[in-house]
Amino acid sequence: MDILINALEQMFTPATAAFAIAAIGLNFHFGLTGLLNMGQAGFMLLGMYGYAISVREGLPMWAAILVAMGAAMLFGLLLGWPTLKLRGDYLAIVTIAAAEIVRYVGRSNTLVNVTGGSLGIKGKDYKGPLEDLSPFPDERITVGPFTYHGSASDSWWLRVVAWTLVALFLLLFWRLSNSPWGRVLKGIREDEDAVRSLGKNVYWYKMQALIIGGVIGALGGVIWAHGSAVVADAMGRPTTFWVWTILLLGGAATVMGPVVGSVVFWAALSLIRALAKAFIPESILPSTAIEPFGLMLVGIALILLVVFRPQGILGNKKELAFHA
Amino acid sequence: MFTRPDTRFYKAAGLLLIAAAAFVIATLVLGGGPAEAETVEPVAAGTSTATLVIQNVINGLAFGVLLALAAVGLSLIFGTTGLSNFAHGEQVTFGALLTFFLSTNEQVTIPLVPGSFSIGLPLWLAAIIAVIVSGFTGWLQDKMLWGPLRKRRVAVLQQMVVSIGLSLALLNLLQWWMGASRHRLTNASGGRVTFGDFYIGTQTLMSVAIAAIALTGVALFLLKTRLGRATRAISDNPALAAASGIRVDSIIRLVWVMSAALAGLGGILLALFDNGAGFDSGARILLLMFAAVTLGGLGQAFGALVGALVVGVVSEVSTVVIAPDMRYASALAILIIVLLVRPQGILGRKERVG
Amino acid sequence: MPDTTVLDGVAHEPGVAKPDPILIADGVVRRFGGLTAVNVGHFEVQRNTITALIGPNGAGKSTFFNLLTSFDTAQEGSGTFDGKPLRKVSPHKVARSGMVRTFQLTKALEGMSVMENMRLGAQDQPGESLLTAFVPPLWKAREREITEQAHDLLHRFKLYEKRDDSAGSLSGGQRKLLEMARALMSKPTMVMLDEPMAGVNPALTESLLEHIIELKDEGMTVLFVEHDMHMVRRISDWVAVMAQGELIAEGPASTVMQNEAVQDAYLGAHHDTDLGEDL
Repeated sequence: MDILINALEQMFTPATAAFAIAAIGLNFHFGLTGLLNMGQAGFMLLGMYGYAISVREGLPMWAAILVAMGAAMLFGLLLGWPTLKLRGDYLAIVTIAAAEIVRYVGRSNTLVNVTGGSLGIKGKDYKGPLEDLSPFPDERITVGPFTYHGSASDSWWLRVVAWTLVALFLLLFWRLSNSPWGRVLKGIREDEDAVRSLGKNVYWYKMQALIIGGVIGALGGVIWAHGSAVVADAMGRPTTFWVWTILLLGGAATVMGPVVGSVVFWAALSLIRALAKAFIPESILPSTAIEPFGLMLVGIALILLVVFRPQGILGNKKELAFHA
Repeated sequence: MFTRPDTRFYKAAGLLLIAAAAFVIATLVLGGGPAEAETVEPVAAGTSTATLVIQNVINGLAFGVLLALAAVGLSLIFGTTGLSNFAHGEQVTFGALLTFFLSTNEQVTIPLVPGSFSIGLPLWLAAIIAVIVSGFTGWLQDKMLWGPLRKRRVAVLQQMVVSIGLSLALLNLLQWWMGASRHRLTNASGGRVTFGDFYIGTQTLMSVAIAAIALTGVALFLLKTRLGRATRAISDNPALAAASGIRVDSIIRLVWVMSAALAGLGGILLALFDNGAGFDSGARILLLMFAAVTLGGLGQAFGALVGALVVGVVSEVSTVVIAPDMRYASALAILIIVLLVRPQGILGRKERVG
Repeated sequence: MPDTTVLDGVAHEPGVAKPDPILIADGVVRRFGGLTAVNVGHFEVQRNTITALIGPNGAGKSTFFNLLTSFDTAQEGSGTFDGKPLRKVSPHKVARSGMVRTFQLTKALEGMSVMENMRLGAQDQPGESLLTAFVPPLWKAREREITEQAHDLLHRFKLYEKRDDSAGSLSGGQRKLLEMARALMSKPTMVMLDEPMAGVNPALTESLLEHIIELKDEGMTVLFVEHDMHMVRRISDWVAVMAQGELIAEGPASTVMQNEAVQDAYLGAHHDTDLGEDL
């Protein structure tokens, strides 16, 4: 029973919402436009740094959010400029490399006064402004089987904020993907030369998609940071790959795909860990191996998904984002 | 698109030299202080920046040759199948960890098998077995996964995401198997060869020699043997190669075996160079391998060598001016800059882009 | 019989000037490595005519076509379309200036419906800009106009019944029709068709031919690449012949086919090519 409640809890954590948001961003890239952004974790990390450092240095919250978004926008421009004219896998390699550069620089000792080096930035340095806005009491509140603090850190308030943002971005994706603008992006995903021949500036549209998805990813990072801390190594390549798994699991190019994917992903991961702990004896699967065991299954799940059900849970086989 | 190293090769080498020279001059002029104490080998106090740069170039070239060996398989697979294989890093790690597994006197385990034991083979024998087993994993992968995907005509980009999943699965399997700590293949510290103000470790020198022999072998294979020519033909034009009677599928399987074995060997030599290997050693250098392959021109086997040398030298020399924990960042930055200026890589042919 | 009166006074020689050219190419050279794929000294297309570009395989027709529409960049040369220079203009701008093209290998957007394909062809939809896309009232009116225009074209091209099907479910010939109809959504002044008949089943070729003739009747200029000489004879006012990257002959179909250089080029490359009944 505890295992089930735990899985249920995992479905609605701020982290689940943060990954859903990052996956909505990736849905603009890959689902709508067919862009292979392999550096979504880099956008998230930039958002986290942008927000946390701004708040720590005394900027108001709205300005910090703008800094986070601006950093992601610049990053997108910088990455898109050389690569969006090239074959798709160049973008993949450049984005993954650039995301790693952000991580290397962030964790480097050289910048320890700015980014906190490999230890990162502590929550108390930047969580204040959002927590001060909380209408909930400053104490632990129990609703049904769930108990969280009202306002601090991994709180009810953060859950409300995170899922409201998820809803907003879903609305945004729905509106844009069903507009003439979204139609152009879908056309680019299918065949960019055809769209070019119809008089659309393909390069510029791809740039817009890259930036808007990256900015959303950065805001996902801000939410993630409020649930835990700003640590560069938490936003390495595996994080990007999880976001991909989440998007493909839920269904790329669908509106609800990223949310369904994130909820199922985190619940399943928690179930696997708990079940492995409960039923596989220590002599066969030592406790230190449970984490890698669970993540190994994630990798296998990604392979099986892409091979056997590339449209994911919600997707439509006809509207696939993969093109040769 | 494998082409003989023609004038472009010399142009690229020249470019490299000019870049290195510019770097040396720039650091001398700017008077960048010697790197912080964290450099791999301690440098005697009072060494000039120029000496430091040259020492780093030597280290970088050594690292570059080893990186080239690890990366050449990535390039071969891209050339023949169009796949950017993100699981190549784990292939590199596997060679190193299997060698450790076979040769160490410590207690080792296998996932899901209770109990521990030690095998304790001599290092050279363990290494040979590890390379052979690595090659076998390449065969097995192509037989079980990539071959069927090609047969089903799964898009290359889709295959790329499959390789990401495979990488994630293998990385965690390796961590499960060997834990999170680093393992040393040998405890022998080895001497160093000094010449003037400079030195190179004996172990490193041996590794580089083995790598150079292996790379020469690959080059001879590609240029001189029938199978090698067939491989290049497939890279040039798969449809034409198939039409002219080349058995594309068996050649690709051979390429998988070769590149997995070379990655394994590269991993072993890198572990000797680096004083150890952990479950994520290959993953850490995956992007450097991509950088090397992309710099050289995607799919150009000889390009991978030039690219790897550039990456090796840049990452080592950059420690003169920036902190050593950012050395890989500088190599990746070079990758992005080169893509800006010359998207087809240093050796690649100019194709229509945009 | 096609109307050739406007071109009556024009000499039958390659690179000849026309009375009212809409498209002019000058000194266009495109090399791939050491190979010169296209080397056209001078070429003009007369406004409101149907001009065919023919030649044996590997003559450089498609490359020339790509150069004219900016899908490829020449090393040397210049050109103008409707008086505006073409050099270093990006392909989408060429399309916007009124010269749209189709492709040899049809590029129907298969994951999208026939209707969405058509709508994508339209110009001046404010909703295609990111900022206005948020606010449907700003683009719904134009969307209705576009939809109406698409309905008319789909009726004309006999695709109306298929409007909600995905483009991937159409036959090869229907995709060619869709691509042509989609190109017309932008109300172009010149239509460039790259092998419009390739892979189209004979039942549909007749209607395709009629559609092409209709374009001219509506005032458009058509330049098309084609292999089938019977088609070329039937609909073209003027024929330009390329061989080995160069323009070797120009003139009305009947004259050009009897040109010795043309016959040599074809026979040299292709012994069994059917040049039509006059041979």
